[in-house]
Amino acid sequence: MKFDEVAPGVWPSLIHPAYKSTVKRGPLQPALRIEAPVPVSRNITPAPRILLPHDADLTRRGQGAPLGEKIVVTGRVVDEDGKPVRNSLLEVWQANSAGRYWHQRDNHDAPLDPNFFGFGKMMTDDDGRYRFVSIKPGPYPWKNHDKAWRPAHIHFSLFGNVYAQRLVTQMYFPNDPLFPYDPIFNSIPDEAARQRLVSRFSLEHTVGDEMLGYEFDIVLRGRGATPFGL
Amino acid sequence: MSNNDYQITTSQTIGPFSHEGWQWAVDACAAARLETSAPTIVVHGILYDGDGNPIDDAQIEAWLPEAAAAESAQEIPGFRRTPTGKAGEFSLRLSVPERAAGEPAAGAPVAYVTVFARGLTKHQFTAVFLEDDAKLAQSAILAQVPAARRDTLVARKEDDGTYRWDIWMQTAKETVFFDYR
Repeated sequence: MKFDEVAPGVWPSLIHPAYKSTVKRGPLQPALRIEAPVPVSRNITPAPRILLPHDADLTRRGQGAPLGEKIVVTGRVVDEDGKPVRNSLLEVWQANSAGRYWHQRDNHDAPLDPNFFGFGKMMTDDDGRYRFVSIKPGPYPWKNHDKAWRPAHIHFSLFGNVYAQRLVTQMYFPNDPLFPYDPIFNSIPDEAARQRLVSRFSLEHTVGDEMLGYEFDIVLRGRGATPFGL
Repeated sequence: MSNNDYQITTSQTIGPFSHEGWQWAVDACAAARLETSAPTIVVHGILYDGDGNPIDDAQIEAWLPEAAAAESAQEIPGFRRTPTGKAGEFSLRLSVPERAAGEPAAGAPVAYVTVFARGLTKHQFTAVFLEDDAKLAQSAILAQVPAARRDTLVARKEDDGTYRWDIWMQTAKETVFFDYR
């Protein structure tokens, strides 16, 4: 595949002083654009057995039902030509409905839910579509500054069809009042690029009386995929 | 979301809480249960920030496309993932299949490496080469790196036979990070 240069402002700033930990962690030199045939044409190939029962239903990993608002999240993963990114590994992780992660270092004073661990994985289908069931995550404080609360979000990790498509991002929920105050969301200079991280409510994907649907499409870098789907 | 003109989805940091969700792949490629038909080497080092402090909550992935066949019994052949430890340390046991003389892979990295961290708004691609690779001078990737910075991609052999490779996010030692065309 070919990887065009990303337009200015679309990637988040690597140094964004309002997000304090970027200051010493973001590279200062620009990334070196190089020709390398292998990263743009090949990828990992996970064995099908990596997928376990309920990996794509985060509400069914405990003994009982987790607390909170049950949701289904779905979307298509495509490349810059709009071609589906098929049979590709996608991981998600998130806080519980109270805004607490199942993680040793999360000391937010909000309850853990013994029935919700907040992570899963799946493969995209032949149309590039993914779908998982979860609980709507809560916002949480993160001590970056006074009254620093993250807007509710779900982390996504995508492997794409070729190595250079690798992407980790966060999906947000519509109309979150915390958007203007969040340095992580606002580390992305381009307004349209920020808005593309906001999912939309979908009545179509809402399941009866069981759960609300959210749709989040993802476009990975790269053009000119081969007929093999790479 | 309506995105019919296929503008790319941008990146966000992994944050500090990736570990539980990412652990399955760490386990799947753990050195203790690695199944490979190729000889292996160990590349280890420390991930540093701009003050020279270790980054203890990062994730490192390594991709070894040439090793996929030798590791076909693995759940993810030719792949490694490891969180950095309390001292910013990481260690990767890598399969190094024999390379036939003159084959296109001559001078290829021993692994393509991706770095993720809290405070890193976008993952960074890099690659690691071995200093005693006789074909290093033929590397098509290193040839594109300014000579003064090539050393940041080369792991040095230690007395115990392992290779040392530190990753620096900033400073004069800043590792070269790539954007693939």
